Amino acid sequence: MKLLLLIFLVQSVLQTIYLPASQGAVQPMDVRLIEQTCKQTPLYDVCVSILKSDSRSSKADVTGLALIMVDVLKAKATGTTNYIKTLLRGNLKGDVRRGLSSCADLYNTVLEADIPVAIEALQKGDPKFAEQAANDAGIEARSCESSFSGHSPLTESNKSVQDVSSVAAAIVR
Amino acid sequence: MLESDPSRDFSKHEDPSIAVPCSYIPLPDGPHTRELASARRMPPKRAIFKVFSGVLILALVFAIIIGGRNSDVHANGNALLATSTSSMASEPLRPVSRGVSAGVSEKANHVFSGVEVASFPWNNTMLSWQRTAYHFQPEKNWMNDPNGPMFYKGWYHFFYQYNPHGPVWGDIVWGHAASKDLIHWLHLPLAMVPDQWYDLNGVWTGSATLLPDGRIIMLYTGSTNESVQVQNLAYPANLSDPLLVNWDKYSGNPVLRPPPGIDSKDFRDPTTAWYTSDGKWNIAIGSKVNKTGITLIYHTEDFKSYELLDGLLHAVPGTGMWECVDFYPVSKTSGKGLDTSANGPEVKHVFKTSLDNDKNDYYAIGTYDEKSGRWVPDNPKIGIELRYDYGIFYASKSFYDLHKGRRVLWGWIHESDSEIADVKKGWASVQSIPRTVLLDTKTGTNLLQWPVEEVDNLRLTSREFERVEVKAGSVVPLDIDAATQLDIFAEFELDKEALEMTAQTNVEFSCSTSGGAAERGALGPFGLLVLADDSLSEQTPVYFFIAKGIDGNLKTFFCADQTRSSEATDVNKQIYGSSVPVLKDEKLSVRLLVDHSIVEIFAQGGRTCITSRVYPTKAIYGAARLFLFNNATEATVTSSLKIWQMNSAFIRPFQPGQDA
Repeated sequence: MKLLLLIFLVQSVLQTIYLPASQGAVQPMDVRLIEQTCKQTPLYDVCVSILKSDSRSSKADVTGLALIMVDVLKAKATGTTNYIKTLLRGNLKGDVRRGLSSCADLYNTVLEADIPVAIEALQKGDPKFAEQAANDAGIEARSCESSFSGHSPLTESNKSVQDVSSVAAAIVR
Repeated sequence: MLESDPSRDFSKHEDPSIAVPCSYIPLPDGPHTRELASARRMPPKRAIFKVFSGVLILALVFAIIIGGRNSDVHANGNALLATSTSSMASEPLRPVSRGVSAGVSEKANHVFSGVEVASFPWNNTMLSWQRTAYHFQPEKNWMNDPNGPMFYKGWYHFFYQYNPHGPVWGDIVWGHAASKDLIHWLHLPLAMVPDQWYDLNGVWTGSATLLPDGRIIMLYTGSTNESVQVQNLAYPANLSDPLLVNWDKYSGNPVLRPPPGIDSKDFRDPTTAWYTSDGKWNIAIGSKVNKTGITLIYHTEDFKSYELLDGLLHAVPGTGMWECVDFYPVSKTSGKGLDTSANGPEVKHVFKTSLDNDKNDYYAIGTYDEKSGRWVPDNPKIGIELRYDYGIFYASKSFYDLHKGRRVLWGWIHESDSEIADVKKGWASVQSIPRTVLLDTKTGTNLLQWPVEEVDNLRLTSREFERVEVKAGSVVPLDIDAATQLDIFAEFELDKEALEMTAQTNVEFSCSTSGGAAERGALGPFGLLVLADDSLSEQTPVYFFIAKGIDGNLKTFFCADQTRSSEATDVNKQIYGSSVPVLKDEKLSVRLLVDHSIVEIFAQGGRTCITSRVYPTKAIYGAARLFLFNNATEATVTSSLKIWQMNSAFIRPFQPGQDA
């Protein structure tokens, strides 16, 4: 009797573990939309890894995926802006400080102009302005990187922002 | 769709393992083996239990195996994807060509095409110089499409997409200005703002129809509170106010919603209506089905209820969304404009669309049979072929000016500098000088555009240069004092011997892929250097390039080269242009309107037009110069020019005491 009960318990526990697996936690439909959408961007892997790890993407249509990407862009730009502020507090060489100030301006434009325009254009249904805004963000990140004559302390951040903005622009398309 | 970016290495890619939540757990070396082993030692009384538990265990095992197999399928599936995507990512990606088969040219969409650029340290002196003196622009902030142009009670009216809050697109409303002469504009209060559910997310582009009984119909696209594109009706609140300051929206809006089969975001920019003999008004609205750009036609009698016609006015596969379509008659014989409803044997109809895909305006000439509601292009092989303008010129809209009996065209000219510069200077975009549009009766296959004659009233002092000889490989300065607000008319002649002698070439020339004004040919380039400084460190060449084809025939190209227009790195450096028909015994001629950061260029009487935005850092104010140049290797060029200094148009807010 005890044996039976034990088996039953073990079985029900294992069933609950395996049931989700037998149905598939990664819903085929959303994955397909993400993959289809990301195929049309220049950085498939960046696109897919961002969208698949964002829970909002499971309910999103293409516009929704674009908005997620713009949100990620905003987060990265915000992160870079904060990092720039931190760096500026330190003891820096003149040309590095100048480069960082230039970058602060550029990222301010990304956050004050590009992100709001992209979000508004996507939500209101005139996506071409969202595409332009996403591209502008990438341009500003590139400009930031070019602001340093020597070594840039922001290379990774700038590349990340550029990558996400090019993906966002392509999704909008 | 995909951007080309030579500076980025697409063969590098991220770690191909995708972070897919994988919820199967490796099969435990289960308790079931131990259970089975211990079950064997049980006494026979418990054989039943043994069997029963065996069944249960089997069921459990089955559940594990089946569950595991499903997960395996998922895992394998994902693994397959991982390998296939990594092989995809390693291929170099190229921009997808759209509509080339339909005669639509490849054009880089974006300002910088992936070049690494540093942000130029623009200062206020440089930026404030960029504001134009006689082109329409609001006092600050962002502008895009021209809307509802018309003439009423002695005033020309102009409306435009405007952001009242900043120099980037957003919060779009209808700006408004009025003028007696299409040049001296006076700013009026905003005409329409997003204050209804049916235009809450955008009061977008629209057109005016003037009814014979004096009423004015304004149809415009609204983006509803749910971002659905609909068409709405508005009209002046007070028709006896010649300035048409206040506008009312029809209480029954929207008058049109996207029809079945049309996406809610692909239905915008209604045209001016034209009247057909069946007693109905017709309007056209651009849209798309999959990747085919189309134009829908609607019938209406009261502008409140509409009937969608079965046929499309026009459609071209592969061209994407058609925005701001325009449809109007041109005369085959008279040099006059025609009312939008005109038709007859002496009339051709022009169909025009703005292509969302490449941000250019295209038109084609054809015949409209109003009985069948069909328009057939003269050249059916290509769906939409010619561009109004080979530079920056988008969302254009024409209207019939009943005051002077002409068709007048407006075009939105956006910036081609960096967004951060726009934010610094506080504004973005200008409008073209309104242009008259006529059929080119000499060729029959293209339109002629020309600045409206009223712009001539801005001319102040002039200087004439007769038959200036410019030898091969030389630059001739033109002594004209200031060079930032000019109206230039120039003619060019090549020496006959050079024309006959020149060896034939079989390479097809194209302005945009050429080496610009620095690339020397036997018979070109030659023309003018505008907004240049003394040392020519900054210069914008506007020039002809004559190529001799394999058949021995000469083909003339007309280009504007921005590669050295500014020392700033964050401005557009493309070369614009196209071939231009030059008929026998025609001299080569060009007119330029130079107005600070905009140069509008008209070749061969307006057969080929180029609008360029130029942002020099040095060739500004008193340092700007004008030169003739001839960079050909063989031909000598002789040029005669007339150059006027242009006055400002003093575009400013309307003042009740002064202006009414």
